[in-house]
This record gives sequence, structure tokens and C-alpha cells, in this order.
Amino acid sequence: MNRFIIFSILIICGISEIFHETCQKPEVIASAYVTEDATILTNVAFTTQFVLKCSNGVKGITLYAEVDGKSLPAARLSSDNKYQVSWTEDVKKADYNIKLYDDERYAAIRKALRNGEDPNTVKPLVVVVLNNPGIYRGPWINSELLAVLLAALVSYSAFSSKFKLLA
Amino acid sequence: MSGKSKAFTKEEELLLQDFSRNVSTKSSALFYGNAFIVSAIPIWLFWRIHLIDIYANLISFVLVTLASTYALALAYKNTKFVLKHKIAVKREDAVTKEMSRKLAEDKKMSKKEKDERILWKKNEVADYEATTFSIFYNNALFLALVIVSSFYILKTFTPAVNYIFSVGATSALLALLSTGSQ
Repeated sequence: MNRFIIFSILIICGISEIFHETCQKPEVIASAYVTEDATILTNVAFTTQFVLKCSNGVKGITLYAEVDGKSLPAARLSSDNKYQVSWTEDVKKADYNIKLYDDERYAAIRKALRNGEDPNTVKPLVVVVLNNPGIYRGPWINSELLAVLLAALVSYSAFSSKFKLLA
Repeated sequence: MSGKSKAFTKEEELLLQDFSRNVSTKSSALFYGNAFIVSAIPIWLFWRIHLIDIYANLISFVLVTLASTYALALAYKNTKFVLKHKIAVKREDAVTKEMSRKLAEDKKMSKKEKDERILWKKNEVADYEATTFSIFYNNALFLALVIVSSFYILKTFTPAVNYIFSVGATSALLALLSTGSQ
């Protein structure tokens, strides 16, 4: 009986260990890279790397990310809670909120989506903000426009002098 | 001139030839040479900027360049013909004044010969100005239209199609426009 109780407690502890291994008071230290020169690009790449710190010292949990309604896996880079999220996007200037979810919350989101509910009710584990400060899209006047303007100028002078001669 | 009802004199034949649509061999060579150079310039644009495969499209390059050379030379010729009369009238006074001053010292020359010289000079000036202006005018229009059509109008086509249509259509358009009287 005694042994059984100890066994049960161990099992319960084990289960609770497995199911409640959530990150307490999560903190992230993130760094990001965004494509800077989009002169000849149509899509911009975003990459962010972050270290997740939990007050209860949980390590190696699976994370899911959600950016503007797109869900992405967060790749775990190393055992000391280093993750990476990357995606591509059309060229625009904006702040991106990368919402990170653990297993449990991600399942809740999927359930909310399945049932047609608002997935925003599920609070993310932590949100990383990535700012895209604007991308260089090449000079204001591109070379073909300049060529057209110059050619139009020369044509204009040709036209005007022809009309002067024919007048 | 004087011999309206009579048969043409030699000078009048010369004058008629000067004002006809036919151009001299020298002028024709200038027109064709110039038209060829200008027609070949877009090849560079399509090769280096539009990244066309130059060897795969060699046949269309040759054919389009030849057709465009012919069309441009025609445009030069017609534009020159239209302009020459107008220029001759415009420059008449100045040329007459200058030639008269030059020939005034020559007392031996008859009035008829002086007039002939003035007429000849007038013709030469008008011919030269019309030739050079016609080349400038058509080249400017041709290159401007090729740039606009290749970069904007036919942008979505493949470079090979873009080349054939932008150069071909532009030179054809210039040849057509030059046949107008204005």
C-alpha cells in the first residue's frame, strides 16, 4: 500500500512534469536580420534568433510562431533554448509581431481555428517584435526612366525645330 | 523661272533634279550608312540590358536590322524632301545677300551667271541642312520610340519578341509618318 502510494505520487509527479512543463515568466533576447536591398527583389526575407529564458529553467520545449496569421515552426538551434524563426514576405514597411506559442497554446489555437473562433483569445507565450525599417528599392529615378526622359527631351527639340522650319 | 513653256534648259534640268525626290549617290550612302548604324544600336540595348541571347537570335537581328535600315533610309529621304523646299525658302534671303556681296567684286561675271551661282548655293545650303536635320530628326524619334516601347509598352514580352516588335514597328512607323506632307 505504502509502495503503491509512493508509486502513484511519482507517476502523478511525472505526468505533471510532462504536461506542465511550461515556461514560467518567459523572457526573450532576440536579434534579427531583414533584407536591406530590394532593388531587384519581390520578396523580403526575415530571420530572427532568440534565446528563451524561463524562470523555472525549462529547456528544450517545442515552440510555434505566428506572424500575421501565418504559422511557422520555430527551429531549435541548440539545447540552451536558442530558437530561430524565418519567413519571407512581400516588400513593405512594417512592424512584425512574432507570437510564440508552446505546445499547449498552439493546440488551443488550432482548436479555436477549427471551431471557427477567434484565435486571438489564446494568449501567446511571448511576443517578439521585429521592426522592418524600410527596404532600399533602388534609386528614385531608375535608369530606363532617365533614358526615356532624355530621349523625350531630344525628340522634343527635334519636333520643335521641325515645326519652326515648316512654319 | 524663265522657260515656262519652252523645253527645259540644262540648268533647269539640274534644278529639277535638285528638287526631286531622288537623292544623289553620296547623299544616299550617307542615309543608308546612318540608318544602318542607328538600326544596329538597339542590338546593344537588348543584348546588355534586356539580356537577350545574341547567338540564338542572330537571324532576327540581321533581318530586323536590314528592314529597319531600309525603312529609316526611306524616312530620311522623305523627310529631307519635305524639308528642303521649306528650308530653301527660309534661307533664300540670307544666301542671296551673302552671295551677292561675294560676287559684287567680280565685275566680269554676267548677271545670269551670278543668279545661277546664287541659286546653286541656295540649293546646296538647303540640301545640306535638310539632310542633316532629317537624320537628326528621325534618329531622335527612332531611339526615343525604341526605348519607350522596349521598356514600357512591350515590357511583358520575351526579349526576342520585344526586339522584333519594338525596332520593326518603330522604323515602320517612322517610314509611314515621313510619307505625310507635313
